[in-house]
Amino acid sequence: MNKIYLWGIIFTAAMLGFTYMSFDFKHGLSDIVNQLAIAGAIALVLISVFVVIKYVRQMQTDTADGQLAAEKWDGIGEYLNELPMGWAIMFFLTMIWGMWYFTIGYPVNAYSQIGEYNEDVRAHDAKFTAQYGSITGDRLVEMGESVFLAECKVCHGLTADGIDGKAANLNKRIEVKSVKYTILNGSNNGLMGMEMPMPDRNGLFNGNSGALITDAEIDAVSAYVANGMTGAGADVFAGTCASCHGEDGKGMEYVAPNVAQFTPALVTNILNHGKKAAIGTMPKFDRLNAKQKEAVGAYITSLSK
Amino acid sequence: MFHWLEKHPFFFAVGVFLVIAFAGLVEIVPNFVQASRPVIGTAPYSTLELAGRHVYIKNSCNACHSQLIRPFKSETDRYGHYSLSGEYAYDRPFLWGSKRTGPDLMRVGNYRTTDWHENHMKDPAGVVPGSIMPAYRWMFTNKADIDTAYAEQLTVAKVFSTPYNKPVPMKDGSTVTVKMGSNVAEANAMALAEAKVIAADMKGQDVKDAVAAGKIPEIVALIAYLNSLK
Repeated sequence: MNKIYLWGIIFTAAMLGFTYMSFDFKHGLSDIVNQLAIAGAIALVLISVFVVIKYVRQMQTDTADGQLAAEKWDGIGEYLNELPMGWAIMFFLTMIWGMWYFTIGYPVNAYSQIGEYNEDVRAHDAKFTAQYGSITGDRLVEMGESVFLAECKVCHGLTADGIDGKAANLNKRIEVKSVKYTILNGSNNGLMGMEMPMPDRNGLFNGNSGALITDAEIDAVSAYVANGMTGAGADVFAGTCASCHGEDGKGMEYVAPNVAQFTPALVTNILNHGKKAAIGTMPKFDRLNAKQKEAVGAYITSLSK
Repeated sequence: MFHWLEKHPFFFAVGVFLVIAFAGLVEIVPNFVQASRPVIGTAPYSTLELAGRHVYIKNSCNACHSQLIRPFKSETDRYGHYSLSGEYAYDRPFLWGSKRTGPDLMRVGNYRTTDWHENHMKDPAGVVPGSIMPAYRWMFTNKADIDTAYAEQLTVAKVFSTPYNKPVPMKDGSTVTVKMGSNVAEANAMALAEAKVIAADMKGQDVKDAVAAGKIPEIVALIAYLNSLK
């Protein structure tokens, strides 16, 4: 008998012996995992030994045939064998797969950071619409407050008081200083969604007197508007401002904004266009979505009520 | 030829290297060139903005503030559109930063204004309660170095062909032309003209007086730079 068979039997016996010794008999073979493991171990040993013996025998007994290539490399020759059919098929399949992967496989399925971001945004927007798309009343004000605390408080302050005049105090509609500045300088903030500007004092006639608005009248009407449309100056307002801002100061759509009180539409317009007036410049915040702008409007409106 | 290569392993190795290097160049270089080209809407810095950028670097603003918005919903909600590589085309060096102690400033010009910056640089905690940012009061007295900024402009215009005095396309289809002075005196005059626009929106009388007297405090240059970050 060839020595290799003997070694095969010895090796098999040794490996099975190790398997036997390392097996935990306390738990027995009742467990399916244990059974599979032991069967796998035995199969592995037997198959390995069988395959090794087969090929070692082949190396020992096979003789070469076929035509040698003319060339030799360091005395090592090479047969001019036909390419096996299986290899040829695999080669062409690999080429086809390569073309598919190059044109479709990779480009279509590849990971993209921006793609993931876009999906993330879509999912978030859908969730936002489902959860908050139709909220109104107190919940809208609540949302407005949280947006305010995230985006607006850095200038307008936690309590919306404008931090000592660094930004507009949103607890009241408008201050004397701001009314006066606008009358003196006019305004062109595009707040009504149009380019139509408000003229400066040289374009403001007092209908009552038929002349340009005077300094005293400006002071009076500024105090009147800032005090919430009460007190002296009502006649100046009626004569000069009411034709655009309305008799009650509540503004007209596409013509002039509401100067009597905050409205969600007014706040939304300021968020969309930004504003430049007495206190300074406010940048636009058009990256907030429509519902968030509406919510901020509701919150700011609720502050001065 | 293949037999020859098989017999000469050194030249075979050189050949393999050349083939792989060529494949690499063909794959990498076009993408790299494309990504480093300025995106539409990115314009070079003006002299004053560049001086402000030097103030920003000098005071290590980039140690606490990044200039890189990652493509995450939470970031784009807070800071705006995620950053594109071409937006840094005129940043030498870029100021991405690696840590945010303060917020990102990549697009701070979109949502903060001149007067806000003025208040904030003087007393950060007065504007943002609980802010740990220190005050930078010396910026209101130190003078900005316009000459160095102009030197940088000249250099990048010459070495990197940065398009000064040439129309640069904007997102809305229009173009802007960032002007660069033809000599130091003209550059200083242009920076001063730009500083006057900024100072008009500021409150501090000291700063207004300094600009009116032809001097540019660092804060004005810095605000010009911050407002240009969009």
